[in-house]
Amino acid sequence: MRLRQGIVLLVAVLGLARSVGAAEPVTIEYWHINSPTFGGPAAKELVQLFEARHPDIKVVEKFQPGVYTGLMQQLQVSLAARRPPAVAQIGYNLTAYAAGQFPHVLLDKYRKSDPAFFKGIPDNIMALGVLGGTLHGIPFGVSTPVMYYNADLFKAAGLNPDQPPQTWDDLQRQGAIIKQKTGKLAVYLQQPNDEWIDQTLIWGNGGRPLSEDGKRVGWDAPEAVEAMQMWQDMVNKSKIAANLTWEEGLQAFLSGHVAMCLTTIGRQEHMRRNASGFQVRAVPVPRFGSKPLATATGGNVLMIFASDPAQEKAAWEWIKFVLSPEGATIWTKGTGYLPPRAELANDPRYLKPFFDEAPLMKAALQTFPYARPWVSFPGPRGLEITKILIKARDEVLEGKRPAEPILKEAAQQANALLPK
Amino acid sequence: MDATALAAAPARPRTRVSRRWRAAVVGHLYLAPAIVLTGLFVYWPLVASTTLSFYDWNLVSPTWAAVGWQNYRELIASRAFWTSLVNTGKAAAALTVLTVAVPLLLALAVQRVGPRWRDLYRVVLFSPTVISMAIACAVWLWIFHPLYGVLNTALRVVGLPGPAWLSSSDSAIWAIVLVTVWKTFGFNFVLYIAGLLAIPREMYEAARVDGASERQLVWHVTLPLLAPTTLFVFLSTFILGPQNLFIPTQILTQGGPNEASNNVGYLVYQLGFEYFRIGYASAAATLIFLVFLLLTALQFYLAERRIHYGR
Repeated sequence: MRLRQGIVLLVAVLGLARSVGAAEPVTIEYWHINSPTFGGPAAKELVQLFEARHPDIKVVEKFQPGVYTGLMQQLQVSLAARRPPAVAQIGYNLTAYAAGQFPHVLLDKYRKSDPAFFKGIPDNIMALGVLGGTLHGIPFGVSTPVMYYNADLFKAAGLNPDQPPQTWDDLQRQGAIIKQKTGKLAVYLQQPNDEWIDQTLIWGNGGRPLSEDGKRVGWDAPEAVEAMQMWQDMVNKSKIAANLTWEEGLQAFLSGHVAMCLTTIGRQEHMRRNASGFQVRAVPVPRFGSKPLATATGGNVLMIFASDPAQEKAAWEWIKFVLSPEGATIWTKGTGYLPPRAELANDPRYLKPFFDEAPLMKAALQTFPYARPWVSFPGPRGLEITKILIKARDEVLEGKRPAEPILKEAAQQANALLPK
Repeated sequence: MDATALAAAPARPRTRVSRRWRAAVVGHLYLAPAIVLTGLFVYWPLVASTTLSFYDWNLVSPTWAAVGWQNYRELIASRAFWTSLVNTGKAAAALTVLTVAVPLLLALAVQRVGPRWRDLYRVVLFSPTVISMAIACAVWLWIFHPLYGVLNTALRVVGLPGPAWLSSSDSAIWAIVLVTVWKTFGFNFVLYIAGLLAIPREMYEAARVDGASERQLVWHVTLPLLAPTTLFVFLSTFILGPQNLFIPTQILTQGGPNEASNNVGYLVYQLGFEYFRIGYASAAATLIFLVFLLLTALQFYLAERRIHYGR
């Protein structure tokens, strides 16, 4: 009798445990680069809202320092330990490497199962997550380079701050006047440890950072050489441009020592708050003569690294949420990244009020239709190829040799590392 | 009878041996934690990294592809490796001169100014050592600013054109060295002060009685008796100094422009954690380890023959 009671109790307890187990939420990790001053609170807000809507999913958001490269390093280690996050932000410049080297979920199947989700994301933006015709990641953060300028320095030079340069010729002409009248340098093009602006110049002059078949880099093509030579001349010949490290250049602009600064729209809030004693404005980056505007796009895609089906499903729900009009609104407000769904910017329920109050964002919105990929070089040596271009830029800007031989040699080195 | 003698004879040595044995075992037990940890965190990684240097592996791929000597061949043919090695040599030489000689001169000078000033100078000169390197680099970033940094503003006052310290390939490595010297020389300075205080006063008195001049006192008493300190400072600077280059390189230049401020430590990091070529990075680490091993052996050999320990 007692034995039977005991068995019944045991079975009941086990059954209970099983049912508790079944009701336990799926936990996924989400890795991002959003520091407390750059979107961190937005990431937390998104998690709270999502968990309230999906009680069956728990999202653990983890900030990774060192921006996209730092996140990649941690990701590489976590993959080696077979404990990757379910979802991670991968910078556009690193997508080819991640897609080629890391086990991840291909996302084309969701185009069929979730067509509504894909509506409203323009093709040129969705293309940022496509490599070799396959969708590897969903574009999440989108940023464009813009040209910030110091309206007061324009006035001091006798120039009209309502008519900033629209082409590189304009910029060089007005830049010479600024230099002559105020003694200040005209322009700084960002030079961090990446080649975002370099690719923007190549795209802008009608070149391609990488050939369409992905077999050759396009740095030694005449368009690329001409663009980089122009940059060299502005630094070394007309001496209107600054050759400074990234932090130095940004600070030089903010302290009023340089009139114009080409960098990401992601900095707009920083620019507005820290411009010391002058009015900062923004316009799209200059065009090359009559050629259409074209800029490399910064930001990240969301890639799924979960291997467990339940985790993958939860990860996809999370991605859908953060890119929903509601999620994208929180994200854009928190980071200054453009929403992949461009129409939200004009929607009074979502981002219109934000854009109305952030005039600098308009320059990015104007650039949005001309956004081209920030090419991530394919193959296991892709990250080195990026570095070759950075080193070539360094050498070009030092001005000891003309741009052409430097870029020719760099292209040769890079081509040897591209997969055949 | 014979049996008893045989049994009794080895009894005494056995106790002595077992006592010695026990002492040895206890000694080894005391050493064990240190040895195990060093083995685990120094020697095992050394072996693992040397093994890895013969493979191509990106940390993620489940298989390691054996490539033989390929990583070494590629390294020896690469410009980045040689530039970094030469830069490290330049930096080590400059660090050795500036953080072995300068603190010595300062310590000798401070020795003469009287106790109150001596304490003040000690605090002032030692303080950079306790400031975090990362924060110090952030400050130096503004000191080096070519347009309005303190350094170039001062140079302009005396009519010298200041370089673009961090973005010119001629000056970037020296900027990194300067920060490293500023950060590390206070420590050596304090070591010298301690070394000077340890020299017995009687030595000077005896020399004075013998009619030695001030310069002769420094030359024939102070410097020889300070030699063990100098050796320690020299060795630690030469071996550890290049490791101090990493943080300023990472924060100020990332090895740029165009490798001009790269050094071997930072190169290994780049190869391993920027390009994710773990085997290639291990090959670089192994080669560099051999170079440093050789230099260290040479230093010890020379030092053994030249140092007087005040006997």
